[in-house]
Amino acid sequence: MSDVLLDVRSLSKRFGGVVALRSIDLTQYSGETLGMIGPNGSGKTTFVNCITGHLKPNSGSVGFSGRAITARKPFELARVGLTRTYQAVRIFGELTVAENIAIAMVDAVDPVSPERYAELADWLRIAHRFQTQAGSLSLDEQRRLELMMRLVQQPKLIMLDEPVGGLSSSEVRAMIALLAELKAHSTIFIIEHTMKVIRELADKVVVLLAGEKLAEGAPAEILADQRVIDRYLGGGDA
Amino acid sequence: MTAMPAENTPRGLAVHWPLAAFTVAAVLVPTLLSGNRYLAFVAGMTLLHILWATGMNLLYGYTGLMPLMFAGLAGISAYFVVNLTSIGWSFWLALPVGTLAASVAGTILGLPSLRLKGFYFTLCSLVIQTVITLGFVYFASITNGDTGISQIPRPSIPGGGELTGLGYEIVIAVMAAIGIAVLMLIVRSPFGRRLAAIREDDGLAETLGINVTYQKLAAFFIGSLYAGVGGALYAPYIGFISPRSFDVLISMNIWLMVAFGGRGTIWGPVFGAMLLAPIPFLLQDYYTVKDILYGVLIIAVTILMPGGLASGFRRKVPKAAVAQDIPARRLDPRRAA
Amino acid sequence: MSNANLIILLSTLSTGLILGAIFALVAAGVTIVYGSIWMPNAANGQFFVLAALFGWTMTVGWGLSPWVAALLVIGLSVPLSYILEILLIRRFYDVPNRNISYFVLSLGITQILAGIYAITYGRWSDQFQLPPLVGGITLIGPFPIANNRLMVLAIALAILAALFILLRFHRYGRALRAVFQNREAATLRGVNVRAIYSLSFILGNAVIFAGGVLFALAYSFDLTVAWTMAITAFAIMIIGGPGSVLGAVVVGMVFGFTQAIVSIFASPTIAAFSYLGAMLLILLFKPSGVFAR
Ligand SMILES: Nc1ncnc2c1ncn2[C@@H]1O[C@H](COP(=O)(O)OP(=O)(O)O)[C@@H](O)[C@H]1O
Ligand SMILES: [Mg+2]
Repeated sequence: MSDVLLDVRSLSKRFGGVVALRSIDLTQYSGETLGMIGPNGSGKTTFVNCITGHLKPNSGSVGFSGRAITARKPFELARVGLTRTYQAVRIFGELTVAENIAIAMVDAVDPVSPERYAELADWLRIAHRFQTQAGSLSLDEQRRLELMMRLVQQPKLIMLDEPVGGLSSSEVRAMIALLAELKAHSTIFIIEHTMKVIRELADKVVVLLAGEKLAEGAPAEILADQRVIDRYLGGGDA
Repeated sequence: MTAMPAENTPRGLAVHWPLAAFTVAAVLVPTLLSGNRYLAFVAGMTLLHILWATGMNLLYGYTGLMPLMFAGLAGISAYFVVNLTSIGWSFWLALPVGTLAASVAGTILGLPSLRLKGFYFTLCSLVIQTVITLGFVYFASITNGDTGISQIPRPSIPGGGELTGLGYEIVIAVMAAIGIAVLMLIVRSPFGRRLAAIREDDGLAETLGINVTYQKLAAFFIGSLYAGVGGALYAPYIGFISPRSFDVLISMNIWLMVAFGGRGTIWGPVFGAMLLAPIPFLLQDYYTVKDILYGVLIIAVTILMPGGLASGFRRKVPKAAVAQDIPARRLDPRRAA
Repeated sequence: MSNANLIILLSTLSTGLILGAIFALVAAGVTIVYGSIWMPNAANGQFFVLAALFGWTMTVGWGLSPWVAALLVIGLSVPLSYILEILLIRRFYDVPNRNISYFVLSLGITQILAGIYAITYGRWSDQFQLPPLVGGITLIGPFPIANNRLMVLAIALAILAALFILLRFHRYGRALRAVFQNREAATLRGVNVRAIYSLSFILGNAVIFAGGVLFALAYSFDLTVAWTMAITAFAIMIIGGPGSVLGAVVVGMVFGFTQAIVSIFASPTIAAFSYLGAMLLILLFKPSGVFAR
């Protein structure tokens, strides 16, 4: 429960003149649900991109499960158990749900057993949709398919980029319930730009503002932190 | 419904009736036509194009890349074979060597696909095809330039003597059947699934653990094998090759057979080749009418039936908001959403 | 410098200028169409030759004055483009991946036109030569240059200048540039994007036709020039930056001079190899082109 899973040291990323991330340090333990919040454009997605190999950081290092993984390719990271979703849902829209999941399993190092597969599909309520073209699913179903495609790989860490983005409020509640169950047996990293999801799920919260880490702590502490209130929550965004 | 999806248990090819029927027909048709050497030859050429179209289908239909240098690769193999046999090699040894040369070339020339997608890759492959054609014209000591090489001898057979017309057609028929069988096996294999993932969204494929670089190059290696075998068989069969035999128009013709028949289906491109490949031979004196006809078909396919014959005139459902093509200035292959 | 060397230099310079101006025209036409409607028109070379062949028919066939013929050819491009736009091009305006569909479509058009030329003009002749716009020669130092070529150069440069003024100062030009930069924003600002698309297609092709007929007035040509021109125009567009008219003009001029110089010292194949090589490198390493917007 207390092994360091993700270990980020002074990670920085610039886009031309824009500093998107300024020397971020962050540690996530196995089993701990970490939430990252920050307004739009504060660098959250860039942070995930730098960790999962979708972008090369300008400096800093990333350790995962005791290995140095800085700037490794996404497929190598998937194979050591580090996976992610995208802010704009990303599935193989022209293929069926079953094909989508089959693709997720094809290079999985530790794919789920058939029993677990069936359990996951039921739990995510997509089992009845297997032969449907994924692109014709509702956004909510697509988000759950996306999750299924990660979970069949049994990753050590799942980084979710705004997992409730675009969902209706009842769908948001359902997704939060799913993630609350999921956190019992998976380690999750969630990005959100509002406190709502984070408050209910995260054990620890990191606040990002204009590429800098503004605060870090338990959700209650963060909500009470005067700096966070002044500079972020004060904006009425929570 | 909650079991593993059925695709996880690929059926063997042991009793695949359509394939068996195709093989029988492919051998039978030239045999029946052998009374009329010209028609038997047209059948042989059609079978050769079926082989090519199947290889193009692997790349275009199943991997989502439109390689307009396909004919150039066939040409590389053909020139290898002609030159090697002219210095005394057996055709049966030159064929695998020429094919391997085409595959190695195809793999190297496929490297741009790692950085470029959609139109930009296709344009790049068009440039490569043009360079190959210029190369065929320029290195006249090997290729005899624009004049071309004529009177290419037929392969000899082990017992002595030359491969007869019908014997040659049967060799081509068997190669076409093997080509289709290999594609079927690929499509049902994990490799085929990886290629489908790459075709739909290679960034997502990579995130899911697929080594996109390796898989794309493997696809190019195998797709170029088809080009190479076809090129090696083509040269002695028709007896004459020139840079025009392997130029961009030929690549487009093979592409059209795939698109017209139905990319991403096994039999669509086979039918496409059956319908289109004989046309220029049957038109004979009105040979150039073929270009106009093919051009009209290219436009018809693009506008009326993007799924080809296999899916009829249904317009394809527009893609979900996933893989938008990127304007040049944002063309960064590593860009994540 | 000896007279012989000076003559070579001046001849290279004049050929380079004329070829450069014509390359610039065609590439500008191609880049205007690509920048606005996202159509990489591979048939540009066939359009170029179509203009040249029309010019030949009107002058040699019907005996019209080359001036009249040139104007007619450029004028004719307008209804032809408009018909093509209504029949084929319009259908894809809302398709997200339309550049690849357009590319294939234009390859189909290329094949049709190439086939038509082969069974029509191809049967009559393999070299086509038009009468000159003006007669006589001018001596520049020891170097004689045909007044006709000077006239072609002047007209080509004038058209380029007019194009620049149109794009920079006219309402349509500003709207066109807004569409180049950002379609959605342009729509929001009240630009009628579809009208701009139609206009751009017509304008781009008119410029390509102008390039074709001017080329035919300056040099004799054959049907193979179509494919060479198509590939060269693409190379210029890619290197100059797709959608950048300035890029097309600058790189077009550079290509014209390269062609002129290389043809003196080596074979034209080497020139072609060098364009294509440059284009491949740019495609792979800086796909936004040298003059990225
Ligand atoms: N690929 C990119 N190129 C240039 N700038 C980028 C890129 N990705 C993100 N940025 C910039 O980096 C900053 C952080 O963006 P992002 O990480 O997407 O924020 P968030 O996910 O917190 O909303 C923004 O200013 C954004 O414009
Ligand atoms: Mg984000």
